[in-house]
Amino acid sequence: MQSAVKSSKNSEKSDKGNEKVTNSSKLNVSVNKSLIKDLFTDESSSDEIVIDPVPESIIKTLESRLDHMCVKKSEDGGGPSCNTASVPGIVTQRSCVYGGARVVLMPITDAIHLVHGPIGCASCTWDIRGSRTSGEDLYKTGFSTNLEEKDIVFGGEKKLADTITELNNLYKPAAIFVYSTCVVGLIGDDLKAVCREAEKITKCRVIPVQSEGFRSFNKSLGHQLACDAMLDYLIGTGELDGKLKSEINAQPTLNIVGEFNVAGDLWAIKPLIEKMGVNVLSVLTGDSCVEDIANAHYADLNIVQCQKSSNYLARQMEEKYGIHYLKVNFFGIEDTAKSLKIISEFFQNPKMIEKADEIIKTEIANVRSEISHYKKRLAGKGVAVYVGGNKAWSLIRAFEELGMNVIMTGTQNGLPEDYERIMETVSEGTLVVDDANSMELSRLLQKYQPDLVISGAKEKYMTHKLGIPFCDFNHDRIASFAGFKGFINFAKELNRAVSSPVWKFTPKKYHGIVKNE
Amino acid sequence: MPNKHFAVINPSKMCQPMGAVQALLGVRGAMPLIHGSQGCSTYMRFQLCRHFREPVNVSSTSMSEGTVVYGGEANLLKALETIWNEYKPELIGVTSSCLTETIGDDMGLIIHKFRQEHHDEELPPIVPISTPSYAGSHVDGYDKTIKSLIENLAYSTKPNDKINIITGNVSPADIREVKEILELLDCESIILTDNSESLDAPHTDSVSFLPSEGITVDEIRDTANSKATLSLCKHADSGVKFLEKRFDIKSISGFFPVGLQSTDSFISSICELNGCELPVKLEKERGRLIDAMVDAHPYNYGRKVAIYGDPDVVAALARFTAELGMIPAIVCTGAKSNRFLDDMKSVAEESCSLPVVLEGCDLYDLHQQIKENPIDLLIGNSYGARIAKEENIPLLRIGFPIYDRLGAQRIPIVGYKAGISLVDTLANIILEKYYDESGHEIESE
Repeated sequence: MQSAVKSSKNSEKSDKGNEKVTNSSKLNVSVNKSLIKDLFTDESSSDEIVIDPVPESIIKTLESRLDHMCVKKSEDGGGPSCNTASVPGIVTQRSCVYGGARVVLMPITDAIHLVHGPIGCASCTWDIRGSRTSGEDLYKTGFSTNLEEKDIVFGGEKKLADTITELNNLYKPAAIFVYSTCVVGLIGDDLKAVCREAEKITKCRVIPVQSEGFRSFNKSLGHQLACDAMLDYLIGTGELDGKLKSEINAQPTLNIVGEFNVAGDLWAIKPLIEKMGVNVLSVLTGDSCVEDIANAHYADLNIVQCQKSSNYLARQMEEKYGIHYLKVNFFGIEDTAKSLKIISEFFQNPKMIEKADEIIKTEIANVRSEISHYKKRLAGKGVAVYVGGNKAWSLIRAFEELGMNVIMTGTQNGLPEDYERIMETVSEGTLVVDDANSMELSRLLQKYQPDLVISGAKEKYMTHKLGIPFCDFNHDRIASFAGFKGFINFAKELNRAVSSPVWKFTPKKYHGIVKNE
Repeated sequence: MPNKHFAVINPSKMCQPMGAVQALLGVRGAMPLIHGSQGCSTYMRFQLCRHFREPVNVSSTSMSEGTVVYGGEANLLKALETIWNEYKPELIGVTSSCLTETIGDDMGLIIHKFRQEHHDEELPPIVPISTPSYAGSHVDGYDKTIKSLIENLAYSTKPNDKINIITGNVSPADIREVKEILELLDCESIILTDNSESLDAPHTDSVSFLPSEGITVDEIRDTANSKATLSLCKHADSGVKFLEKRFDIKSISGFFPVGLQSTDSFISSICELNGCELPVKLEKERGRLIDAMVDAHPYNYGRKVAIYGDPDVVAALARFTAELGMIPAIVCTGAKSNRFLDDMKSVAEESCSLPVVLEGCDLYDLHQQIKENPIDLLIGNSYGARIAKEENIPLLRIGFPIYDRLGAQRIPIVGYKAGISLVDTLANIILEKYYDESGHEIESE
């Protein structure tokens, strides 16, 4: 753990995600730090967290897993080992490449998402994204080719073609995304050829997604494959919907990339951007329509919210269409303000910059007063974060703004660049863990005794059984947490988790024992 | 909308490994291992966690591209080693997936190899279960798992005077209810399998990674010595047949014991096998159920119901709602099953009504039928919520998965006592929806 973040030697194609940040992100016009600092000066500015020294071996676990956990120290910035296959037999929290692709594309509301495979892949994953819609809701329907034994023997191409035609007749969708699953990769159905033929017959966009589940241990490859599907078959094919290019570009436009409108996050972000005088051309992919994405290449700028799933897409669009991109983060007050600032400064329009400052000032004053009650109850509490995506780092500041300390963070599918971000962001003494399995997680929680855990449904009930409050930051999240408005919800939800009297009756916190030790 | 022939739209079944995992979670100290890629175990855990609201552990052999090319042997061997060392299980149930079935991994042979490598050590039983996801449904996966457990472990020693009960893939609350009834009947039993504690666990001072209670390996072995085997679900009776054929154990399988008649025949089977009378407490419960049915009949009578879900549960609920004077107008199951068709025929004869029977169908088919034949009430899992909303009818949530309401694991439907609550619930839903605040029936426009 001496040098920088390690990566597996046999890392796969998904390591494209490791490419160094291209010039565009350097376009981040320097932010007026003093302004933001002024706005954020607060009575409980984050103090250094003091954590007891941690022994060499953090918890009891497999030898091969030891260097997947590390504690941030000031002298070296090294992160944990990452991007290696999970140990077979472990109860992994990871999903598959198909799952990775599906979560990126699923929020496209007016498309059919057809899973080409046996029934289980579709029936375990339909309508689980938590993405909300303001219009069409076709994406919430579960579609499968339901491959059966004879299809495995004779091939599933015919059934797929028939299914596509049938679905097109039934729904007349804006597009049909066809996802490949493990077994389809094995039997060698030519997904692309079938989709090409079906497109001719149906006159509907039929888009293959080569997302065989086993293609990588890291579902980030699935994210990338989903982005490839959009890049190859959708973005750039738009017909402007009767509008002229000059009309679209009459005022500054941008795409929000990597925002999936989980629990309505987008609806807290979009109005802020529009208020500054920027037109949101398309969102990839939250609350989006196929046609919007097809026209995405007309935008002046891409802003990337989930940098785990979508940096790749922004980079590709820069290469192909010369659209610059900015990395943004709308979780937390400071980062939301900063994001608005860099967007306004990108367009170099004094009026817009002024407007941004105004929005930031008003919104922050409002958030301050709204959260003060919660903040009193949350300040000083320790948080453990374990998530699949960019939230491992993008939430850190948000917690600090509530006076909370992130004592542990980690991700299931982190790439070296993710851990670099994490190591830059967290305070000294924070534990950083990669690909923790359920047993490790429970040992870590018992050892570090956080007051709150941020994770997803698979981790929720184990956390509750350990007597620790929990907040879902994944598919099952019920409130929007993004932007200024979302930050109020965020504080409210955290308080709801932490302050419930039920924890008085679960005395095992701090006394828990794990069987099978 | 035109008919459909190919697509499945809003599935009402899951794949075989899902059923297998659910069966294995009822075995004490068992670790289910899915031999396949990571998504299988993770997405199943996701569904199970949010339904049962309990931590659920399922391990994976984490197959990926390289390992698929060379076969899954190395991954499976490594997985067994890891599970054995890390989790110290009392049993490992290894289920295959579409991936490993297609590449042709011989799990039995690989497990044999693992045993040979560790011939001088005491290994837990390791049971291979063939569950390709492209055949059958979760209902078959459950059935195969019970059969595999018996096939691999049961052996005849001396008679134990117990009755084996195969519950079928039902809720922890139902298994608990069955156990209570057996206790009242003073019947010693072996429950295959029993997730009533592991998937509805009290909040205690410990967290376990393996089911802390449930049927033990020794009890599975002992099933060969029982005096009879009773399957509560007809689709979970391969094990029953196997025990009958191999060990000459009397076998019974009837309607899933929901409502009056089905519970009657379940209890009388036990009484007959055990040579006992109906205990006073159960007799009173039965009387109370009939009383509840009498109380509710003015509201329930003639109400049309659509029911979807697992074949045994749907058939049993259809029979019960018919007993209440409701009309089971549409019944739908995702599994393909002739037994379901037979069951529905007998319900139709008993109730003199002809339901629309959808077998091997999805929720789209169900919805189309509901549009053609309007109903008053829908019974099934959470996935029916959209249909209910669109058609403006109430939904009573029974089945799997239920993720948008609490208590799925705690609400029983089996037996007289649970039947009483069910009657009340049904009638109250009807009252809430179709009667006004002063108790008058709202006239439909």
